[in-house]
Amino acid sequence: MDTAVNQQLKTTTIKEIKKLTESTFIVRMDRLDLDFRAGQYLRVGLPNSIQMREYSIYSGENDDYLEILVKEILDGEVSQKLCHLKPGDALNFEGPFGFFGISEKDLQEKKFLFVASGTGVAPFHSFVRSYKNMDYFVLHGVRTVEEAYGRQTYNQDRYFLCTTKDKAGSFNGRVTDFLIKNRLDPEMLVYLCGNSNMIYDAYEILQTKGFSRDQIFTEAYF
Amino acid sequence: MNQSDSERISHVIEEMGYRKAVSEEEADLLGVLSCSVRQKSIDKVYSRIAKWNKWKRKKSLVTFVSGCVLPADKEKFLKLFDIVFQPSEIKQLPEMLSQYGVASSYSVEQLYPGLEKREIFDFWQVDPDYQSGFYAYVPIQNGCDKFCSFCAVPYTRGREVSRSSGEIVEEIRQLVNNGYKSITLLGQNVNSYGLDKKGEEISFAELLRKIGRVTDESGKECWIYFTSPHPRDMTDEVIEVISQHKSLAKQIHLPLQSGDERVLMRMKRNHSVEKYRSIVDSIHKLIPEATLFTDIIVGFSGETEAQFENTRKAMHEFKYNMAYIAKYSPRPGALSARWEDDISNDIKKKRLEILTDELKKHSFEYNKTLIGKTLRLLVYGADKKQGYMTGLTEGKLTVRFPSTEYSLKGSFVDVKISSVTPFAMEGELIPDNTQKAENIISYGAEDCI
Repeated sequence: MDTAVNQQLKTTTIKEIKKLTESTFIVRMDRLDLDFRAGQYLRVGLPNSIQMREYSIYSGENDDYLEILVKEILDGEVSQKLCHLKPGDALNFEGPFGFFGISEKDLQEKKFLFVASGTGVAPFHSFVRSYKNMDYFVLHGVRTVEEAYGRQTYNQDRYFLCTTKDKAGSFNGRVTDFLIKNRLDPEMLVYLCGNSNMIYDAYEILQTKGFSRDQIFTEAYF
Repeated sequence: MNQSDSERISHVIEEMGYRKAVSEEEADLLGVLSCSVRQKSIDKVYSRIAKWNKWKRKKSLVTFVSGCVLPADKEKFLKLFDIVFQPSEIKQLPEMLSQYGVASSYSVEQLYPGLEKREIFDFWQVDPDYQSGFYAYVPIQNGCDKFCSFCAVPYTRGREVSRSSGEIVEEIRQLVNNGYKSITLLGQNVNSYGLDKKGEEISFAELLRKIGRVTDESGKECWIYFTSPHPRDMTDEVIEVISQHKSLAKQIHLPLQSGDERVLMRMKRNHSVEKYRSIVDSIHKLIPEATLFTDIIVGFSGETEAQFENTRKAMHEFKYNMAYIAKYSPRPGALSARWEDDISNDIKKKRLEILTDELKKHSFEYNKTLIGKTLRLLVYGADKKQGYMTGLTEGKLTVRFPSTEYSLKGSFVDVKISSVTPFAMEGELIPDNTQKAENIISYGAEDCI
């Protein structure tokens, strides 16, 4: 019996699993003509399983493949299985969903500050791959430099890696420390993605620096 | 939403030759429409089917479940119920029932020779068996694309789908012509109407305008409501249209969920408190007499005292007439169900009490301004208080008045308010005024608190 949910389900084929660190990897799959806006996410699950998880799309709007950035979670019911997939395997997904995008008007007129913790950089990777003339800065918070997922994608003059466990990044400390210590263009639109605590703290700092709520866009992962 | 679904499912079942049983115990066929918004509702489904399955040991009984059913629940339900189906699969219900050997003279081909089943049983085209002769629910939209982190509806009802505006307006026209006096447009996000069919279907504001025009021009008195809108898609145009049509009820249900920006971010509501405030400002400016209702969740995952305090302040600021306040309960399938439910039940209960007190304060103040005024009511029936009838104002405020004239049920009457409590009012019936619309005393901007 078809259900409303199953009607939305698509089955794709894995093209590649690209390991980035011990616990983080990119899943590349057939795009199946999926139309999406950078910043949106998919719900992903294994065939014959009812467990699905949300992952922001990592690839760009014009790429002929679809990618998600996955961090293996201890006891994670989906991520643990995703890392064992091989090219040719099937994968189910639903979507795209979400409103964490950039409007055409803003793309033409605004500057952007993208602030991410960990795999929260995925939608920003998609933004940068999709919009070549965008005026942006990426602020990526991780523990060590190995977690600088996809850093080569960004214009290095516009990419700030904040590391807390080593000093190999461009800034030693959290992204929130960076926000406190640096002058920010008050006209920028700020996109925050990752864990809720980072988002809350960054929101407070931005408020004290005069940013209005309308300038701040958020996507909380957990 | 489930009431509207049940009216259509009832119609299909009655078309098969079934009649409503006097009591649950006497039924041969029992079903339940589940709701996935909160775990508590699903728990009730499990408790009910446990009871029915005990009865099945002693009698012949067929059970079904429909409504919002998550894939995980569906797997469990399949083991407990005889039939599990989505509302959109209603066309298959007669066949499913016949497979369970229930005696029925029903045959799709006999009833509708030459027609495709799909055409007949498209869910929205099924005539509902309205549960009342004077108020009705009309679905205009199904599903949700918003993916709030606390809610599983997008996974159970699927994406937003708008019903044809022609079909909706026709259903309203028939209801109004048949003397219905209160009609509620239903959808998970009613004001997202048409967004799934951009360019092919009209917007929610345009739909409201058409409905308002049809109802106003009918010359009959009828109040048109809608629930629930999402603040993200609420426009000034919608509020303007409500202000321009007499039949569009001056009552807005606008879910807030939380008055704290951080909690709204975590709930993935995709709007700010500021956006919500601007909508309320527009309502006050364009429809000053409108009553305001809301939904609020207390004790959401990670909600701090300071964040809760912002919700209390928001309740103070927006001065709701009614709020449906729920203690957060994680719903399997929703994103937040994987986050820690770290607020104790005692704290949730306390926060619920604080907000209820805040609500009472404002609703009481508002109701007090109505003492001595004459309000138009739609009478719903006998009140719990002996010798009284009860009804709702256009703003959905409860009023009771001394009367044993049960024939007033389903009629408009005017009542002069004599006393009030936070959630109800009492007054005297103004004689010989049923069905008259001219004598309504509207309470204007200066009366609003």
